[in-house]
Amino acid sequence: MTNLILLKNVVILPELFLGLSIVYLLLYGSIISTTKTYPLIQKLILNISVLVLFCCIFLLYNDQVFFIQKSLVFFNDTIICDYLAFFSKTVIASFSLVCFLMINFYLKDQKINQFEYLIVILIAILGFFLLCSSNDLITAYLAIELQSLAFYVMAAFKKNSSFSVEAGLKYFVLGSFSSALLLFGFSLIYGLLGTLNFEDFKSLWYMQLPGNFGDCELLIKSSFFDQALLKLALVLVLVSLFFKLAVAPLHVWSPDVYENSPTSSTIFFAVVSKLGVLVLIIRMFQHSFHGFIYTWNYYVVGLAVLSVILGSFTAIEQRKLKSLLAYSSVSHVGYLLISFSTGTLEGLQSLYAYIFIYMLAGLCIWSIFLMLRSKTFYSKKHNKDLTDFTLLVRSNNVVSFCFAVVLLSVAGFPPLIGFITKMGIFMSAIESSMYFVAVVSVLTSVVSTFYYIRIIKIIYFEKALVGNLFHPLSFIEPFVVIVTFILFSFLFINPTLLYLVSYKISLLGFM
Amino acid sequence: MLEFILNQLYFDNILLFIFSTILILSALAIITVQNSIYSVLFLVLNFVTAAGLLFLLECEFLSLLFIVVYVGAIAVLFLFVVMMLDVKILESPKDLFKYVPAGSFIGGIFLIEISLVIGGTFNNNPYNHTKIGSQLSNQRSNLYCKLDFFTDIEVLGQILYSYYIVQFLVAGFILLLAVIGAVVLTMNNNSQNTKKQIFFKQISRNYKTVLLT
Repeated sequence: MTNLILLKNVVILPELFLGLSIVYLLLYGSIISTTKTYPLIQKLILNISVLVLFCCIFLLYNDQVFFIQKSLVFFNDTIICDYLAFFSKTVIASFSLVCFLMINFYLKDQKINQFEYLIVILIAILGFFLLCSSNDLITAYLAIELQSLAFYVMAAFKKNSSFSVEAGLKYFVLGSFSSALLLFGFSLIYGLLGTLNFEDFKSLWYMQLPGNFGDCELLIKSSFFDQALLKLALVLVLVSLFFKLAVAPLHVWSPDVYENSPTSSTIFFAVVSKLGVLVLIIRMFQHSFHGFIYTWNYYVVGLAVLSVILGSFTAIEQRKLKSLLAYSSVSHVGYLLISFSTGTLEGLQSLYAYIFIYMLAGLCIWSIFLMLRSKTFYSKKHNKDLTDFTLLVRSNNVVSFCFAVVLLSVAGFPPLIGFITKMGIFMSAIESSMYFVAVVSVLTSVVSTFYYIRIIKIIYFEKALVGNLFHPLSFIEPFVVIVTFILFSFLFINPTLLYLVSYKISLLGFM
Repeated sequence: MLEFILNQLYFDNILLFIFSTILILSALAIITVQNSIYSVLFLVLNFVTAAGLLFLLECEFLSLLFIVVYVGAIAVLFLFVVMMLDVKILESPKDLFKYVPAGSFIGGIFLIEISLVIGGTFNNNPYNHTKIGSQLSNQRSNLYCKLDFFTDIEVLGQILYSYYIVQFLVAGFILLLAVIGAVVLTMNNNSQNTKKQIFFKQISRNYKTVLLT
């Protein structure tokens, strides 16, 4: 403990770099933007943010210390550095880099001119980085607070729109309630176990592995407290984290917030935000409290099936694309939780494969949604309804083809990668004898295919004479869409890469 | 038995009873008093007595934090907001007991559940079999303080700045974000709508028309 802050311990170099760049960008922007001419530096700060994120990815690849050991812990065992943290941080950084590239024209159109918007987004990304590499409860709580506080500001950022203000307020009130539940659960855990560290939890409860009956079980039984309060604390933590993920009974905020906040914020809520919370859930419940699997298993399976059903059936009614995507994300989180609740290595592997492909598909869909800027509307209105995409095939053939392919992949059609990942989920459920869950989710998956195909029908086969006219596209946005499109078909032909990465994560994160 | 009661009635314990009585009464007064300014003042009293209770439990840092943060910042801010908003006094004694049945029902169920879980959790208190009861723990901690005299604040500072430096920095980032968010969301760039003090209106305010009466 004497070598507390040495240079060799700085494995949080990406986080450190990101934090320092945030402070410098804030200083720079506030000095520049208050000079006499009040210049607009939105584009400038956006480009620098892209550069900063690129440097973060470079720094992540530069010090892969987990190649020496399986996982390393630093800073009084509060920061862990393993393959799970590394890969999640890389994915988050690269996806948010692409999101930054996509929101450029939207910010210009909607006249969101304050440069603080981008800095708030960068702070949210910093929160995700810390969340991915947190190894104790305090760090996890602080990171969650950091990212969710940034998200509240992002949701409410368009001040002249009362929708956006409402979304921000709603998100703030409900999110802080769930944060309070999280803190209550954490404090109960600390009060009962006397430690905050995930490794210590694992050492405390490792002997409670299911099937390990014997002296250890007696030891647990005769210990000085029974586990009811600890289970209550775990349930409170699960409820709060499920709120952040928008699982079914706690999903009510998500369509409103997605619909009403500016789309440049929604793309971050939809694409980036799920992974960080999921990493924390996996660290806490698969890694530390895996001994309690038969406690949280039932809650998670029930909520997963409920959210799959509810997300699939409610999305049929939606007329707006944003709330449709919100409900579809509810059902996708349900699929994720099905494979999470199996508690096996295969379930974990299919979870990683699914979340990666889901994020990729979300990135592609939201990018198309952001880059099609209609000419016929007045500039404040952005495309919102499903009918705005009527006969998109006439005006832009390639984009509509990419859109259709991505939607089919999300729905799980065979010659695309979405089919393989969804099949992995169902296979892992069947392997751990959850036949009923698998059958119900397969049947609901058929229902959910309906509204994806309806979008394709609107794009291709609508009986209308004229569609909308759109602004011409710049270079970088179709580039992103094409790359993700190629990935979708390539990964089906050769999914080894995806399986390799997800299997490595599941092995290393689990042991 | 009498000895036990006399043991309990130390000076500390008398203060404890006084503080907890004031705490409960002021907490009741917060929600029953009609005038909102009095209610906020009772809130301040509540925080101060809670800080006194924490002092008796020898958590100096927490009690100072209560004084500084809750009394110094939050309650005074409440007071300002209540005074600025110009809230009318509500004369509605009828509505006072409207929510009592449902609220007490739900709250009672939650209380019973939590107390069942907590009561079942801590079965055996290691200090319970001795005659002196909970006094043992007090004496022991007092002795410990005399042997190795560090106040809470010193210990917390040493741990916070060495072992938990990353968490400290992240907390700083949260505060920075709060500042940025508050400034950005409330700053109004067009200068026509800025709130200004109207001197005439301010001077013509009478003490009879304000809420404090």
